[in-house]
Amino acid sequence: MISGKEKIISILAISVLLLGIFSALYVNATQINKDTITINGNEYTLNQIFSMCTKRSIETGEGEKTGIALEDLILKIGVYCPACHNYVIKAEDKYQQTISWDILKTGILTDYGRVFFPDTAHTFWVRNVIEIEVK
Amino acid sequence: MNKMKIFAGILLFGSLWGFSEIFIGSALTDIGLPAGAIMTGFFALTFLVFSRMFYKQAGMQLGMGVIAGALRLFNPFAGCHLCSALAIMAEGAIFEIIWYKISFDLTELKTITTRVSMGILTSYVVYVGGFIVTQILTPIISGPGFYIENLISLMPNIFSSGLLPALIGGVVLPATILIKNVDVNVKDRLYYPTTIGISVLCWCIVLGSWFLVSS
Repeated sequence: MISGKEKIISILAISVLLLGIFSALYVNATQINKDTITINGNEYTLNQIFSMCTKRSIETGEGEKTGIALEDLILKIGVYCPACHNYVIKAEDKYQQTISWDILKTGILTDYGRVFFPDTAHTFWVRNVIEIEVK
Repeated sequence: MNKMKIFAGILLFGSLWGFSEIFIGSALTDIGLPAGAIMTGFFALTFLVFSRMFYKQAGMQLGMGVIAGALRLFNPFAGCHLCSALAIMAEGAIFEIIWYKISFDLTELKTITTRVSMGILTSYVVYVGGFIVTQILTPIISGPGFYIENLISLMPNIFSSGLLPALIGGVVLPATILIKNVDVNVKDRLYYPTTIGISVLCWCIVLGSWFLVSS
């Protein structure tokens, strides 16, 4: 005979499986694929960004990385008082990280759409960036 | 079982867990497989459940998580060392919470359905819980600070990522319980040299590799 505890374990297992399945369907349905990056509400292609900003190389825990300086990018797009804002870097899979100007200005954006910072945990190295929101 | 024996067991299984996370986890990442899901669903769950059955000691899995996480900090390969270390420590703690009401002789897990269900449930909650904890603690510990909206936007991804470890856990836990009746009674004169020797070997290999890569 199935005890109450066994019944609860089975119900919870089915619940987490359903949660995982529906979340996977939701993630798949809402994934954003686009060729541009939205920065402070305006759309830019990677080519545009790379043509208007200076390149910089930084040393990270995974070696040297090269891309355009995020500091230069934010200044070029005309953000007033960059140090007064936080910046939310968003990926196409909804992953996002919020960082201050002090950190952002040390970072780069690569030509494959990933940001790197020299002195942060890897969790801040957002891949497949689709938006940099100025807050 | 005396405390020294349990402590040696924590050291052994924690070191093996951390060692496998570093070397097997990194190899799986290199060949493009979902390392986190496989490591939790297969290796972590095996070590956690086996140690629970063998030592019958609550709190031991928490200690194993701390040892494995500490070893993972010295990963000589690329990746987020702090994130993984925090996730592993959290996984040990979450396992303790889930298994708090399960008796040491596993009387609740008599049928294969219950064993599969418990494997799915444990693996899913341990993986998802570890993922959430590391998303909260990594930004706090590393400096920039935690923003709840970042976690909320990632929640569907976190919930969906638990699916694979859950399915693996549904196979691994019943398989691990099959070895419950195997007599692994080791004499004290062999137990301590073996457990401590293997643990020291794991730490020496990891620290040696880390030192070579760093210098």
